[in-house]
Amino acid sequence: MIETFITSFKLKNTYRANSIIYSIKQFPIIRKILPNSLYKNRGLKIFANIISIIIELISIFIGKLLYVAIMIFAVLSLYKTNKADTFLHIFTFLTLCGGVLNTYMLNPTKDKYYAIVLMNINAREYGLSNYYYQLLKLVVGFLPFTILFGNIAGLPLWLGITLPFFVLSIKLIVMNYCLYDFKKTKKASNENLPSKFVWSFVGICLLLAYGLPVINITINQTIFICVFIVAIILGIYSFVKIHNFNDYRKMYKQILTTSNVYVIQNNSGTQAMKNTSLNQIELDKNYTSNKSGFAYFHDLFVKRHRKILTKAVKKQSVIILIIFVAVIIGFQFSAEFKSKTNNILMQYLPYFVFIMYCINRSSSVTQAMFMNCDHSMLTYRIYRTPKVILGIFKERLKTLIIINLLPASIIGLGLALLLYLSGGTDNNLNYIILIVSIISMSVFFSVHYLVMYYLLQPYNVNTEIKSSTYRVVQAVTYFVCYYMIQIQLPTFSFGIAMIVFCILYSLISLILAYKYAPKTFKLRI
Amino acid sequence: MKLVVKNLKKSFEKKEVLKDINFEFEKGKIYGLLGRNGAGKTTFFNCLNEDIEIDQGEFYIEEENKKRKMEAEDIGYVLSTPNVPEFLTAREFLKFFIDINKKRIKDLKTTDEYFDFMKIEKEDRDRLLKDYSHGMKNKMQMLVNIISSPNVLLLDEPLTSFDVVVAEEMKQMLKEIKKNHIIIFSTHIMELALDLCDEIVILNKGVLEEIDKNNLDNEQFKNKIIEALKEE
Repeated sequence: MIETFITSFKLKNTYRANSIIYSIKQFPIIRKILPNSLYKNRGLKIFANIISIIIELISIFIGKLLYVAIMIFAVLSLYKTNKADTFLHIFTFLTLCGGVLNTYMLNPTKDKYYAIVLMNINAREYGLSNYYYQLLKLVVGFLPFTILFGNIAGLPLWLGITLPFFVLSIKLIVMNYCLYDFKKTKKASNENLPSKFVWSFVGICLLLAYGLPVINITINQTIFICVFIVAIILGIYSFVKIHNFNDYRKMYKQILTTSNVYVIQNNSGTQAMKNTSLNQIELDKNYTSNKSGFAYFHDLFVKRHRKILTKAVKKQSVIILIIFVAVIIGFQFSAEFKSKTNNILMQYLPYFVFIMYCINRSSSVTQAMFMNCDHSMLTYRIYRTPKVILGIFKERLKTLIIINLLPASIIGLGLALLLYLSGGTDNNLNYIILIVSIISMSVFFSVHYLVMYYLLQPYNVNTEIKSSTYRVVQAVTYFVCYYMIQIQLPTFSFGIAMIVFCILYSLISLILAYKYAPKTFKLRI
Repeated sequence: MKLVVKNLKKSFEKKEVLKDINFEFEKGKIYGLLGRNGAGKTTFFNCLNEDIEIDQGEFYIEEENKKRKMEAEDIGYVLSTPNVPEFLTAREFLKFFIDINKKRIKDLKTTDEYFDFMKIEKEDRDRLLKDYSHGMKNKMQMLVNIISSPNVLLLDEPLTSFDVVVAEEMKQMLKEIKKNHIIIFSTHIMELALDLCDEIVILNKGVLEEIDKNNLDNEQFKNKIIEALKEE
């Protein structure tokens, strides 16, 4: 088993090193300088290997540090309860959540796919040895922080030491249950697609973790010790069961399908992956189109993608309406809340750039456009003629703008209404500026994403993002919007500046799109 | 009508995939493009389809001794992995394709006539393409490319995903339509190339060359092709 583990560790290290080199090669200028033979350069390989091992070491501790510090320690001060008990309380319930959400073993990762499916490594030996390694990392990673933060919160040292072993036991118990379930049903569950039952369990645990202390209820050390002893006993029992389980190969065959593994691989940053995208297509025989040409084509696209287009936007709008109603009700109860809201509306318009960024659907919609439509259509030369490209571009632009306009106009009108109800403003122009600037932000994001998509078309035929420029633009967009959160400017001047910017940007980018899209809109090779 | 390729070059980083392609493809013929794995057949197709920029050289259509640019309408490309818009039904896809090609289609037929021509069953015509099998998608891809009737038809291993019956039908169909087209057909199956194609062209070491059959019988011709492909 140790041999299998070493092999798999080497394998993981090799492709991690390769992906480090690959990402170095993704930078626009460096790419031109570095040759493909890079991958066999010994010095660079060693360098990448060292980085890879450093990443491994850091990953042991960083995640655990952030988890204990942010999820548990940082929130202690919010409660009036005993700090040590609250620490224990939240830790216990979050451990239950983590236990069902991440078993390590059932996570369909690329490592497992390569090793077990592609290279035919013994599934039991691979699964178990890597599982034990993960568990070891878990205990080692947790130990310093449960001791440190536990100590600051007032837990005795020995209790800080027991906490990681509690986590360990819970992981083992859940894993054993999963194996038991697999034996019974012959179906292995992909842990990245948790069932409704799992989600409800997680929801309840979260509620208990953070909710109970609000009403001054926490577990105490005695209760924890009882729970701990039960967990340890069940944990040892589960360990024996897991170790003696024989059908790992069959189980992994079910979990490690290409679709599962690919979803993981591409999920970093993007959600609408090829498979999920395909699931978004709905065929409803009642929906047809009387149009022709590209209008027909696009019309059907929109109708078959209601889930991510109209339906999603309607949901958004309802939630936004509810928030507004809640705020207006709030006005009735607190005059202070009223004047604060008024102040926010007059000073914090930049904040809404970020909000508009968050609710804009264009990014995921363009992704679906590629995955479900352009991915196949771009191979047809006729689809890439300027007439067709621009014709469909126009239809898409209209749709994107209109779709995003619904929640945007609700927000715009809602804000103006809030401003009026919270005490009004000296300058009536502010009402109009609120409405128009929110709407122009929405139009801006719609135009921005669509034009970027057409000018940079970042995907290749395997639906991988191949353009580093596209990534950079995405990141810059995010950071600029995020930065806006910290800015306070009078709504009047910022609003006008925003409107002018949005109009200019949209005009210029549309001109660019019309000029260059016929050349740039093609599959990356 | 001829498709003329002159001094076409394409490299990826330092690797010269297409070194110097010179060739004239004539209307009315099916060209069998043979080459070893990685020889650059797909790259050559991608160049002609303008999926990638070429480094040097040119290609154009020559009609009645007049040279003109190869336009998008001139070319159809059937990939070995079928590409069809999965959110449409077969009929809708066909309608869209006919819509955007309307002006150029000479004897326009109804969608059902086209489906009959391609032997796509009635119950399949209104199904979403995402539920089509690999071979069925390929049929659709082939069909729309035939309907738009481009002057140059590039086929990349198109028959391998068909069952034997359909493959035979496709072969017959290609023979029927060849008189109005230049068909370039890439394949690894020698028998298919010999059976279907009028000319055998091999891509080796970045150069395209025609293999003359002269008076050789099939067996001798086959050996000659293999020898040519083996050349290092």
